[in-house]
Amino acid sequence: MSTAGAYDSSSIKVLEGLEAVRKRPAMYIGSTGEAGLHHLVYEVVDNSVDEALAGYCTEINVIIHIDDSLTVIDNGRGIPVDIKEEFGVSAAEVVMTKLHAGGKFDSNTYKVSGGLHGVGVSCVNALSETFQLEIWRDGYTYEQEYSRGVPKGPLTQTGKAGRKRGTKITFKPDTTIMEASKFNFDTLSQRLRELAFLNKGLKITLTDEREEPVKSHEFFYSGGIAEFIKHLNRGKTVLHEKPIYFEGERELPNGGILTMEIALQYNDSYSETVFSFANNINTVDGGSHLSGFRSALTRTINYCGQQAGLFKDVKENLTGDDVREGLTAVVSVKLPQPQFEGQTKGKLNSDIGGFVMQFVNDRLSEYFDKNPAVMKRIVTKAIEAARAREAARKARDLTRRKGALDSGGLPGKLADCQEKDPERCELFLVEGESAGGTAKSGRDRRYQAILPLKGKILNVEKARYDKMLSHEEIRSMITAIGTGIGKDDFDISKLRYHKIIVMTDADVDGSHIRTLLLTFFFRHMQELITRGHVFVAQPPLYRIKKGRSEKYIKDDKEFTREILRRATENLKVEANAAPGMEAIKLEGGELRSFLMALDEMDQLSRKVERRLRDSRVVEVISNPALLIDSKAEFAEEANLKPVFDELKRLGFNPEMRRDEEHSVWSVVYRDSTNAERFIGIELAAQPEYKRLRTLAKQTAKHNVAPFAVVKDSSRQVQATWRELLSYVKSEGMRDCQVQRYKGLGEMNADQLWETTMNAEKRTLLRVRLEDLVECEEIFSTLMGEDVESRRKFIEDNALDVRNLDV
Amino acid sequence: MKCPICRKEVKLTDPFMPFCSERCKLIDLGNWASEKYVISTPIRQGETEEDDSESGTES
Repeated sequence: MSTAGAYDSSSIKVLEGLEAVRKRPAMYIGSTGEAGLHHLVYEVVDNSVDEALAGYCTEINVIIHIDDSLTVIDNGRGIPVDIKEEFGVSAAEVVMTKLHAGGKFDSNTYKVSGGLHGVGVSCVNALSETFQLEIWRDGYTYEQEYSRGVPKGPLTQTGKAGRKRGTKITFKPDTTIMEASKFNFDTLSQRLRELAFLNKGLKITLTDEREEPVKSHEFFYSGGIAEFIKHLNRGKTVLHEKPIYFEGERELPNGGILTMEIALQYNDSYSETVFSFANNINTVDGGSHLSGFRSALTRTINYCGQQAGLFKDVKENLTGDDVREGLTAVVSVKLPQPQFEGQTKGKLNSDIGGFVMQFVNDRLSEYFDKNPAVMKRIVTKAIEAARAREAARKARDLTRRKGALDSGGLPGKLADCQEKDPERCELFLVEGESAGGTAKSGRDRRYQAILPLKGKILNVEKARYDKMLSHEEIRSMITAIGTGIGKDDFDISKLRYHKIIVMTDADVDGSHIRTLLLTFFFRHMQELITRGHVFVAQPPLYRIKKGRSEKYIKDDKEFTREILRRATENLKVEANAAPGMEAIKLEGGELRSFLMALDEMDQLSRKVERRLRDSRVVEVISNPALLIDSKAEFAEEANLKPVFDELKRLGFNPEMRRDEEHSVWSVVYRDSTNAERFIGIELAAQPEYKRLRTLAKQTAKHNVAPFAVVKDSSRQVQATWRELLSYVKSEGMRDCQVQRYKGLGEMNADQLWETTMNAEKRTLLRVRLEDLVECEEIFSTLMGEDVESRRKFIEDNALDVRNLDV
Repeated sequence: MKCPICRKEVKLTDPFMPFCSERCKLIDLGNWASEKYVISTPIRQGETEEDDSESGTES
């Protein structure tokens, strides 16, 4: 516009421009709502920030007044007040009334301009009911007032300013145009804080006079965007305490200066928080500066990780996604005449990507060289991300890859049932091919399906059993079950069998496969368990055959009970059976309980013997008359004297030893390897010792040797309770064939059906979530390196599941 | 209980129990898929123990 004419004519042209703003405000400030209202503030503040960028302004104050008018004050140079001959009015008035004037009407004024929205403060003027301008410049104060963009008079010198400089603008948005009129303190805070971060050393205050008392925030960050990073990462666990920060400048081919500021810090999350800015504008869609930063980050982390030898078990390079997990970064560039793209100007188009990339490559490598520990942590995190990506790919393979499936899409190894209603169907997961074969012939094919699982064995040469479920087996299982797996694919409504029954051998191997399967269900198909679809079959451990009758027994305890029941049906026992003594007669239920207790004592004795290493010593401490149970009893030397005497009689060379620390006594002897063994409070605290002592006392009344076994007219004398027990057991097994099953494979199809699969007769254990919480720990233990706890698990490995008859 | 992958403490009521997060759950599934989970038993030790208890109950 070169209309160099009278004040009036030029001003009319200008007014025509502002009239357009009032007619279509959304075109200039986005909207007349909340966002547009705050946009007005940013336009005014941006002018002040431009002064700060040029190096003349250090403080900006924003004040919200009680009538929802707003003031912005800066301590910059003050808008020029001289008359622009071109327009015949003051430069200040041109800025306030001419669209797109801003700082650009003189290209030498600002090397770099925020020019945020390019519409300038004149829009604010046009959309304000009242607009007051005050300028302190060259020792004088100048003032001018406007209403809806129309000056009430020319800019007038009104007083002296001394050394004070700057510009003050107070405006009240025109409520006849703006739908929103209430400024939001938090919205303004957020942007002003961002501006303070982006312009380090610039102090911005925000005051809200509508509040009682007046609310005020000050934003001042000498650390700039490094402090921005800290602000973004507040409350998060960071991988390195100090944000990584660089700043630098490059001369652009067109002679301008590109200023680059980069700050980054990693936290332990998996998400990425990156902000990029060009001339303080938040480039929400990124652009050349952000892509330059990203490629440099990926390249540098890969390069430094390789150099440091951290990629030993990583096959491929880390991807951009890998290195950006947990990244918080701010990329801020400032350059003359930035080029933006898109409606919202959210993307920087200026060709500066190469400069940013080179800059970040150089400075980040240098930083990593000097801070190898931080580099290692960041690289390790990125490697973990890469592993997770790889894990996700493999997990997808489990369900998506085509494998050995039959025409119906089911695994070839599955022997499916005829019934299609899932509610009536059962799937047996059977360990081993041969047991699987037996189960296939034994099942009721109408509603029972069989999937044999091998449970791969590895590492046999290392003298270990290594049991695992192969990829193929897990896949077959998931396919057979039908629900799919994983976050997006698991669908319980596609379950093909309402009973999934794990059927494994009653040995250690079997329990390992069972543990693997249940752990897998617990971790990845938990709903099957919470809905009660998972069961454990109970194959028998013994078969007792007598004549034509057969009986199957599921565990050792029941086996003993059965044998003793058979024996005591037709024999009686007399205790204290020495000639001339008054014999104690036992028969029926009383005799059975007595013998069961003796059997338990027998087993406990073996366990205690593992600690004492001599059966004779176990015999000694099993004497119910002794006072060797509580700590108080061990405090009395006299209580241990009988133990001492007895060991001495047996030829040990015992010793009474005082434990001063606990004020108790113990009897010490040497076992066959000459190692010291103690009968003291530590032994007395062991559960097997306590139980043995309890049983010894309980049975004391009847446990008086010798014993006589009376059957029909015969009478057999047994010298000790052990001989009695063994004799009665052999009587119980007389004429019986006893078979102990080592595996499912030892049963034929009929037997397996009869004992384990027939819904009329079988016992199933329903697996509950609580049991598996325990199983989870067991699994971790088994996976772990702690051999001792592993052995302990094997000793008492019975998975404690509730008995449930189905 | 601890997350099987990262060993962070997990409560029974947590949404990804026994995992701390969806991420760890996914890594675990990947471990199963790539056959990383093995249960090992030392043969000699394990078998002697087993034999002991068997002869004990059968006699």
